[in-house]
Amino acid sequence: MKGTAVKVKKTIGDKTFDVLNGIFWVTALFAIIYPLWFIIIASVSDPDAVIAGNVLFWPKDFSMIGYEAVFEHKELLNSYKNSIFYTIAGTALSVIVTMMAAYALSRKFAGKKAVNFYFVFTMFFTGGLIPQFLMNQRLGLHDTVILMIIINSVSIWNLMVARTYVSMNIPDELYEAAVMDGATHFTYFFSTVLPLSGTIIAVLCVYYGVARWNDYFTALVYIRDRSKLPLQTILREIIATLSSSTSTDAFFSAYANDTKGMTDAIRKAAVAKYCCIVVSTAPAVILYIFMQKYFIKGVMLGSLKG
Amino acid sequence: MNSKYATTGRKKGTLLQRMGESIKRDWQLYVLLLPAIVLIFIFCYLPMYGIQIAFRDYKAVRGITGSEWVGLKNFVDFFNAYYFERLISNTFLLNLYGLLWGFPLPIMMAILLNQIEWSRFKKFTQTVIYVPHFISTVVMAGILYLFLSPDSGVVNSLIKTLGGKSVHFMIEPGWFRTLYIASDMWQHSGWNTIIYIAALTGIDPGIYEAATIDGATKLQKIRHIDIPHLIPIVVMMLILNCGSLLVSNTDKALLMQTPGNMLTSDIIGVYVYEMGLTKAQFSYTTAIGLFINVINFVMIVTVNWIARRFGETSLF
Repeated sequence: MKGTAVKVKKTIGDKTFDVLNGIFWVTALFAIIYPLWFIIIASVSDPDAVIAGNVLFWPKDFSMIGYEAVFEHKELLNSYKNSIFYTIAGTALSVIVTMMAAYALSRKFAGKKAVNFYFVFTMFFTGGLIPQFLMNQRLGLHDTVILMIIINSVSIWNLMVARTYVSMNIPDELYEAAVMDGATHFTYFFSTVLPLSGTIIAVLCVYYGVARWNDYFTALVYIRDRSKLPLQTILREIIATLSSSTSTDAFFSAYANDTKGMTDAIRKAAVAKYCCIVVSTAPAVILYIFMQKYFIKGVMLGSLKG
Repeated sequence: MNSKYATTGRKKGTLLQRMGESIKRDWQLYVLLLPAIVLIFIFCYLPMYGIQIAFRDYKAVRGITGSEWVGLKNFVDFFNAYYFERLISNTFLLNLYGLLWGFPLPIMMAILLNQIEWSRFKKFTQTVIYVPHFISTVVMAGILYLFLSPDSGVVNSLIKTLGGKSVHFMIEPGWFRTLYIASDMWQHSGWNTIIYIAALTGIDPGIYEAATIDGATKLQKIRHIDIPHLIPIVVMMLILNCGSLLVSNTDKALLMQTPGNMLTSDIIGVYVYEMGLTKAQFSYTTAIGLFINVINFVMIVTVNWIARRFGETSLF
């Protein structure tokens, strides 16, 4: 074997390593993908087959009965609409406010240290759940749509990641040149910083958007009016309670008066839960896959400098 | 801080002058900061003002400042509470076991991912391992309830076909921590590799080439190149994780708590939620929150101080 070439022939040890590494990753990928795959195939299978445990690797007795049940569930559909609204409005607000602050923090100005401290301190010390609950009550924010949009709208972590991105990727010379041409901070921010921040804006959209879409706790604490509840809070009642294997769950009760009768409702509910998971998780995963290109680049940058 | 300097005569003028000029020049920056400052004020600083009810006997009709002072009574009540020890140890152990099991896996995954040579497979793997991170906590808990259901769950039907007896996973206290930590690892291990992958991609490829020419095997390269490069970030992540050993992940524990598994699933965050919001014991639970908050704060500051001594990186 000639050792001078950069491409050296693999030793037996390396070959064994590659094989073992391959086995590890195939196993790991199976462990990650199988539960997700099972949910998808269970959601399009016949309820009896799912209950009996006959669905394992492929849909059995294809049926859309579960999805039909989901689309007949008025409260679930309404909460879906609410979640779309909260997510879009909340994410838009978050991204705009974060980018504005991130740009400001990337520049030098009087009192910057104090402002930085003002933000970072909240990462380490908070009032806690109960004082926040009482203060929001005094502000009249309980049970309002406004609260659902503005609460948690600024994540200090995201703000710091965005600030790092802006100060590392947008050269100071651009600012100096813009000032020569008479630009103010406003015009520079809107005409130069934002257009050059595509990657970080994509990352922020995914971070904020997914956090909002997946949040059930805020509504659990603050929302009493059921017509304002977001998807995850309704979903909790349907799938994430102990009663979900019995006939007293929320899905069943929505169909208790169904003319076809009780057994049919129970059958439907068994599969409908899987459909709920698919319908509620798909938007977040699809958003991730679409944004992935920007995403991995931007997240790495943030994590290195965080 | 600024006012301390402002009181000394000569500096006052120049500082104020400088600030005046700076504000005139940069007022637009303050405008850009304003929305974030206001939102953080409403949701982070106003609640801090509300913390005082930890030292009062809060009555809704009398308001925050109108309620009577009771000193440390609420804290003493908590220390003497029947569940005090159980709450502290459940919270601590859940985090400790979570750290012991969950911390090494992402490091290992990052190293092994870095060794995949077939780049399409590598890319595919990297995409897939991040996916579970995007599943909501509610759905994660729902998956556990559905898969582990004693009569229709896929796990128990497998156990039954193998001749075993079905297990009531979600009710038995002995299963809570295992399920909680395992599902956390399933969801977030892949995601947590990001920081280590970033560190590994920062290694100069020339080092690997030199090692290859010198006839180093892959294992040797991992031992002598990858691991030494990862150690600083691993140490820092570990130290920082140790700073949050008493933090409660309330939303997940709340979903996984059932009357059966309270023995292990009752953690501080859930207790505060139950006592505060469903039983309206506002002062008592604020005191608990404050107590834990102070501990966490001290731990994080300490740990950050240690991290700073280890390397130049720190959080603040």
